Amino acid sequence: MKKLKKADIILAMCLIIAAFALFITFYLFKTSGKKVIVRQNNKTVYSGLLSNDNQINLKHNTVVIKDNKAYMKCADCKNQICVKTGKISKSGETVVCLPNKVIIEIE
Amino acid sequence: MSSKQSDNRNRVTAVCIYALFCCACLIFGYVESVIPTTLIAPGVKLGLSNSVAILLLINKDIKGAFAVNTARILLSALLFGSPFSLLFSLTAGVISIIVSALSFKIKALSPIGVSIIGAVTHNIVQIIIACFVVSLGCVYYLPILVVSGVVTGGAIGFLAMLLFEKLKKIL
Ligand SMILES: [Zn+2]
Repeated sequence: MKKLKKADIILAMCLIIAAFALFITFYLFKTSGKKVIVRQNNKTVYSGLLSNDNQINLKHNTVVIKDNKAYMKCADCKNQICVKTGKISKSGETVVCLPNKVIIEIE
Repeated sequence: MSSKQSDNRNRVTAVCIYALFCCACLIFGYVESVIPTTLIAPGVKLGLSNSVAILLLINKDIKGAFAVNTARILLSALLFGSPFSLLFSLTAGVISIIVSALSFKIKALSPIGVSIIGAVTHNIVQIIIACFVVSLGCVYYLPILVVSGVVTGGAIGFLAMLLFEKLKKIL
């Protein structure tokens, strides 16, 4: 049987290095976002400026926008991953609550 | 037995084996839907079904790999998915199998390397589609999806090699 070859390892290393380089480039060039969009079941339920402090109370989640940052303040989902994600402010960043199908997105 | 009869019999056997592989892929798809890998980042998947495609490619059955791969994507979309998810899975699935089949021509690579190329291609294509239909912000998932493609692709390639050793008698 053809086992793992040297070229496989080189390929894997190259891809991981490329991914790491991309990650750093994205991190350096990420711009602060301006707009917050909250979606529930793929429908936009809130859309406003990040500089606009606000609290959005949904059925199962509470989204807070404060000091140019957005975060999930509380949620009734089991895993609490959305709450643990923390605060987001850069464009493209998201907080996702998969069980309740709620997404906070910065644009 | 005349050669025509034996030819027919071979074709029936082949159809049965492909159908079995399709079923196995659907089960793999269900197993994956239970494991919450998408929590790492949207689009992160084990790609267990891909082991079947790689297995057929190891057996130099490019047509079979293409047929089983396309059939299982259409079937799982029909059973569990939506037209929206089909757009992602079919485009990414077809492109990644073409790239995998081509990279099998590279003699220096083992099936593990080929599987890595296939998985990474699959993930990159999905991100490109997501950039068009969801939002450009999806591009930020590219690094994590490339890394996950390397890890899962490698594991799936290894699995496919083990399966080939076990199954080569019936193929
Ligand atoms: Zn949640």
